Amino acid sequence: MTALIRNPLTIVWALLAAVTIVSSLIALDGGAAHQINTTVTTAVLLIAAVKAYMVIWHFMEVRRAPIWLKATTGGWVLGLFTLLLSFYYASL
Amino acid sequence: MSGSVAEVPKAPAPSAEHATSWRKNRKLDQWIAFWSVPFFFNLFGLVFVPLSWMMPPRSPSSSTPHIVDFMHSHNLLIACVILTLAYGLAPVSNACYLMQVKRMSVSPAFRYSMMIGAITGAIVGMLFPMFCFGLGAFRPGYNSGVLTMLYDFGYLAFIGSLGCFCVMWMAFGLAIILDENGILPKWLGYYTIWQYVTELMAAPVWIVKTGPFAWNGLMTFWFAMTLYVSWQIIVYVCIYRAIKNQPEAELDNASPELRPEAVELRSGTSA
Amino acid sequence: MTNVAEGVTPGVDNSRPDDSRRGHVPGDSSMWFFVIGDLVIFGVYFVGYMYFRGQNHELFLQSQARLNLDIGAINTVMLLTSSLFVALGTEAARAGNRVAALQRFWIALAFGAAFPLLKMFEWIPEICSGLTPGTNLFFMYYYVMTGMHLCHVALGLVIMCFILRNLRTSKAPKISFVETGATYWHMVDVLWLVLFALLYLMR
Repeated sequence: MTALIRNPLTIVWALLAAVTIVSSLIALDGGAAHQINTTVTTAVLLIAAVKAYMVIWHFMEVRRAPIWLKATTGGWVLGLFTLLLSFYYASL
Repeated sequence: MSGSVAEVPKAPAPSAEHATSWRKNRKLDQWIAFWSVPFFFNLFGLVFVPLSWMMPPRSPSSSTPHIVDFMHSHNLLIACVILTLAYGLAPVSNACYLMQVKRMSVSPAFRYSMMIGAITGAIVGMLFPMFCFGLGAFRPGYNSGVLTMLYDFGYLAFIGSLGCFCVMWMAFGLAIILDENGILPKWLGYYTIWQYVTELMAAPVWIVKTGPFAWNGLMTFWFAMTLYVSWQIIVYVCIYRAIKNQPEAELDNASPELRPEAVELRSGTSA
Repeated sequence: MTNVAEGVTPGVDNSRPDDSRRGHVPGDSSMWFFVIGDLVIFGVYFVGYMYFRGQNHELFLQSQARLNLDIGAINTVMLLTSSLFVALGTEAARAGNRVAALQRFWIALAFGAAFPLLKMFEWIPEICSGLTPGTNLFFMYYYVMTGMHLCHVALGLVIMCFILRNLRTSKAPKISFVETGATYWHMVDVLWLVLFALLYLMR
């Protein structure tokens, strides 16, 4: 059982779960007024990007994958969130 | 191998008989079906786009006078004539796929699902719009209310008829993925699953008349078309390779000496 | 991690060290083709959502207020936990520890199955209170994207059942199959992480 808790994957999971709760609180608190809020949006989107990449890197084992897979998945995260934030800011 | 070396070099024929006449090619039926596809699609494309401007789809929220004008337009008439005559080619292009699916190791249930899906899809997705727009074009007497209904009916049948195609693409995709004979590449199976996804994406067209989820919308039409057209071209190339690589002995209409029983008899052994 | 006393499958080779120069692609590469393509397709959806949101911030903000953020967050944690156990189960399967692998995949299945269940608790009250896909553009995006995602979840659960069957019944479980299914499931998780941020959290 302790082996399970000390498994690096479990540690990653704990971080992800904690960060999920944090970003939910950010939205509930800072975003309570349901107005445009660039701080909240930037924070939650960046957190989402980090979470996504951590799942890809650790759970999907891309950290042990050939370079092309690292580049493709990394590129997807980077490209997607850049576009998302750009469209968001451009529309304000 | 042909005896004379002075001839123009060509690839060795599988059997001396087949070297000369293309008419003797045992795969001729498949090749005819295959080449009918681009002919059919180009015709279709011509009919739908520059000829009648039916595609890209007109707005579902067009005003009645616009709709009436469109339904009575000359170009739509010509488009419908061509469509009526060329509709029969749809089954031929589907037959092309099915010939290859037959070679797969999966249950015949997949093939039958594909067939029925294709049949119902062609009826609902192509025949119904043909009737609707044809009625508008060939019968000038209808009032604008009826014409508006036919307009809606036609476009919804064309774009909203997802159920049949869902079944077809799912069956095709799964057949490819589960096939152990490797007739078509596995990634194509996954690509075909995305076809199913585009059909699902079309569901909102029944509900909204404006915006990205209408039948002419960014999400339901344009994006779906990008996926569909690229898939169609790619599947086409893969089918070409599959037909080309199909061993002559496997064909249903293989020449007698190539059939497995004949080979056994000749070699005196049983496989 | 190395609880190899029970259920060791003979013939599973876990002695080969990772060749970090070449890298290891988990599962079928055709599944990675699907994963990357699916990520791109959803990516187009996400960007489309952001673009249309940009044209109508008010509408989207007001509509977002009607969503159930609690269930959204709980569902996120459900999927993350399910993914964890899939990853742990894959590790166990690779180490030849069939018993542990089975346990972990069962747990993963349980957490994964919680997702659609909770989603019903989310959707049904919303629909009953009149918030349907036809209500406005936000809700159309909401139902279409979460609906499409739900289909992916359902498929992932089916795949997991096949993995469980494979681990339980066959003498030499196919690690490649386990990895392939696991890869798919993690993709489903990644997609939800983005959806959660876009639909529930951002302002």
